[in-house]
Amino acid sequence: MNKNIKKQRARRYIIGFISVFLLIAGIFIHVSVGSSSIGITDVIKALFQPDNSKQTTVIQTLRLPRAVLAALIGASLAVAGALMQAITRNSLASPQVFGVNAGASLAIVVATILFPELHSKTTVYFAFLGSALGGITVYLFAAGGKVTHIKLALAGMAVHLFLSSLTQGVIVLNEDATDVLYWLVGSINGKNWSHVLILLPWSVFGLLAAFIMGRSISILVLGENMATGLGEKVQWIRLVSGVIVIILAGSSVAVAGPIGFIGLMVPHIARKLVGGDYQRILPFSALLGGILLIYADILSRFIAYPFESPVGIVTALIGAPFFLYLARKGRNIKQ
Amino acid sequence: MKTGRKLKIVSVMAILSILLVLAGCGAKQDSTDKESSNNQKVAVKHELGTTKVPENPKRIVVLELSFVDALHGLGIKPVGIADDNKKDMIEQLVNGKMKYTSVGTRQQPNLEVISSLKPDLIIADVQRHKAIYKDLQQIAPTIELNSRESTYEENIDAFKTIAKATGKDKKAEERLNKHEETIAELKKEVKEENGQTILPAVVRDTSFQAHTSASYDGGFLENLGFKDAVQSKEAYAEMNLEQLSDINPDILILANNEGKLLTDEWKSNPLWKNLKAVKNHKVFVVDRNLWTRFRGVVSSEAIGKDTVKLLHDQQK
Amino acid sequence: MNAKKHPYGILSVLLIILVMIAFISLGIGAVYTSPVEVFTNLIGKSQSNHFILFNYRIPRMLLAVIVGASLAVSGAILQGILKNPLASPDVIGVTKGSGLFAVAVLIIFPGASMVALPFSAFLGAAVIAIALMLFSYTQSTKTHSLALIGVALGAICQAGIQYFMIKFPDNVNTTLLWLTGSLWGRGWNEMWFLIPCLILIPLIIIFISKLDILNLGDEMAVGLGERIKYVRYTLLSISVILTGASVAVVGSIGFIGLISPHIGRRLVGSRSKFLLPVSALIGALFLLLADTVGRGVVPPIEIPSGIVTAIIGAPYFLYLLRREQKNK
Repeated sequence: MNKNIKKQRARRYIIGFISVFLLIAGIFIHVSVGSSSIGITDVIKALFQPDNSKQTTVIQTLRLPRAVLAALIGASLAVAGALMQAITRNSLASPQVFGVNAGASLAIVVATILFPELHSKTTVYFAFLGSALGGITVYLFAAGGKVTHIKLALAGMAVHLFLSSLTQGVIVLNEDATDVLYWLVGSINGKNWSHVLILLPWSVFGLLAAFIMGRSISILVLGENMATGLGEKVQWIRLVSGVIVIILAGSSVAVAGPIGFIGLMVPHIARKLVGGDYQRILPFSALLGGILLIYADILSRFIAYPFESPVGIVTALIGAPFFLYLARKGRNIKQ
Repeated sequence: MKTGRKLKIVSVMAILSILLVLAGCGAKQDSTDKESSNNQKVAVKHELGTTKVPENPKRIVVLELSFVDALHGLGIKPVGIADDNKKDMIEQLVNGKMKYTSVGTRQQPNLEVISSLKPDLIIADVQRHKAIYKDLQQIAPTIELNSRESTYEENIDAFKTIAKATGKDKKAEERLNKHEETIAELKKEVKEENGQTILPAVVRDTSFQAHTSASYDGGFLENLGFKDAVQSKEAYAEMNLEQLSDINPDILILANNEGKLLTDEWKSNPLWKNLKAVKNHKVFVVDRNLWTRFRGVVSSEAIGKDTVKLLHDQQK
Repeated sequence: MNAKKHPYGILSVLLIILVMIAFISLGIGAVYTSPVEVFTNLIGKSQSNHFILFNYRIPRMLLAVIVGASLAVSGAILQGILKNPLASPDVIGVTKGSGLFAVAVLIIFPGASMVALPFSAFLGAAVIAIALMLFSYTQSTKTHSLALIGVALGAICQAGIQYFMIKFPDNVNTTLLWLTGSLWGRGWNEMWFLIPCLILIPLIIIFISKLDILNLGDEMAVGLGERIKYVRYTLLSISVILTGASVAVVGSIGFIGLISPHIGRRLVGSRSKFLLPVSALIGALFLLLADTVGRGVVPPIEIPSGIVTAIIGAPYFLYLLRREQKNK
């Protein structure tokens, strides 16, 4: 038995190392790929021996923040998804299925139209409001009583449809359609350090809070009765997790629009790789989420080369078939 | 017994609906017959075929802004315009107040209003209104021209077609001659900047859309002697700051949307500050309606005069 | 509940309301026509707004009624087959499939004749339905998984649609407008596409006893000797045809197929004999109202009916969900 545990532990460490390596490699590749390729050696030089050349400026002010943003958002969304799947005990839960993304998106669009001069820092709060409303609406349905996967998926889909069509409507009636896609799909094009700064406090806070909750979540997942028996305040855990989800997802949508499917896919992969303990799943999801979004963003450069496409398209094109795969597996997914 | 009653209800409903459909088909015949009772007609060739337009139409409905411009250049007032409910935009176009009826958005003009105006000519945009061409023809003779995706040259062709349809060929010729003179004069005034690269772009809160040599304003500026910084077959090109700094135009023209702008964030970036146009104070903000929406003989002259003024009033 | 005891009464009342609203809707639009004028025009005694009435309002009203009824019946069928009260063509991915194929044709073949559009919509709906059936075949025929797979397929189609919009940005505007669902510019020409609906709806109302057998539960039904799969697939095909035709005409309008059967169930219970016709009438009313409101609120601008149905439909749907939840 001991050998097995040691093996598992070793395996987890290896996976951890590979992931960190992938993340860093991803950041480098992300920075070097763009409307003009910059060699990896140049990238390294720019990062560690910065000079005043144009290339360095490009890397430092445009590409690097974008890569960092991708990692942050990926991590936030993945952890949000993991939390949601845990507290609703539903393997299909994710900020997108729950209407959290769509709610935040709608709130921002409305805010932008009503108050066009609003600074990005303040629109984050609108996003929180929207994601809270979206999430609560669907959660109200999920709370108490037996919630099967289908009910959740269908309810979430209905809410998502509603919010998306409202968003669509609002924008279509206001003419400029190129921006619509951005708000319906999510993109990190053209983001810079100011966006990173807006997101950073919320992400860091949310992620840390989530990691701290890891143990309680693991217990909660074992079953409500068990958890209460073990002295955990179930409702409180649920509430705090819900708030964390809103913070993580809401801030991400505020900065980059509703990037979907990360919160859905990553927790499943994480669970497969490191087992069912949430104290491990949560940080690992963060890592994986960052990796996934960075590579997805790299891919997004090539859809309509040399023009950039929203990264939400790539996550959707990867995520939707994954969703199908999950759907086919049926409802015997162990938490 | 119960099924019998249901059957009766259902069959009554079915018969009713079939009757209504037939009635409608009959009605359709009516309106198309009314068409052919007109005397003199001019055959006008347009993007979707040839239409017989009555001579000297008095009541014209136009569904795009460039057509308003064209009619303005010919001294004709349309009775109906698809103005996106923006009356002041139209007043800006024709430089004054004008009485007309709004027929809704250019995207989805209201067919009921158009028909209630009883026009004798409708001018529509072939890109936006291809799907309703048949419906428009039912109301009045319709010609569909290039407007939304037109180049400067195509726009002038459209102007000539409109002149033919409204029987103002001679006036058109005079106007076009005047236009060429105006352009030649403007060209002289910007002779110093001849050959410099210029980039017109529409800026929104999440995108910077450059207008290439294939766009209307890009093509027009090239006609004035400039070179569009982006040469392409596609009229528009989304750009990020990196690409912009690679292209580095001599003159930058920004048609800004209302509200937040992407360029606001760029202004603090050294890449922006190092742009040739920024360093030489040749970044100009222009009116979006005039530069990208109006399009036409009259408006292009306004664009040209605008350009000259901006370049020569170095008041930065 | 009293209502359930008088299904014929409800049917008649709904029919009368429908006719009334239809009549009123003929008067509403950018050019207001008083009911008296409408009447005199209809019986041929006046030609005042003849053109508008017969070329725009009447066909549009008829289209709204037929499409509304089709979507509602399609939803009722799906909810019966999948034994899930939350199923509907929009949620199950059939509408999205239609939309994807139609968008693909709109964008890839912009010069295609107007006939290509409905065919691609049909094709899209059919493909999704076939995919659904295939997937359920390789699994156990659990009706629950079918619904879930439908949602997933819908998500894939949605991703596909967005991909097209990115790859071909010039058409984004037209595509989005079409996708939002609206009756603008639809007239007599579009009526042809709805012929299958005109035939199918009365047919299905007459032969709906089959659906009730499905409601009894798989085991019992097998015991009764019905060929379950055959019946289920036939009904699914009908639902697909109805949806495909509707999407072809109006784009993707949502919530009608979802809500109408629910309201119908509250009024007359779950017996398909009454549920289907009542749902049809409610669906027709719903879309007619949505279109009329969209046309009449800020003329000459029209709010697409798809947005109105979403605004009305979604909150009501959520309210329904809560009630469903409480009843458990």
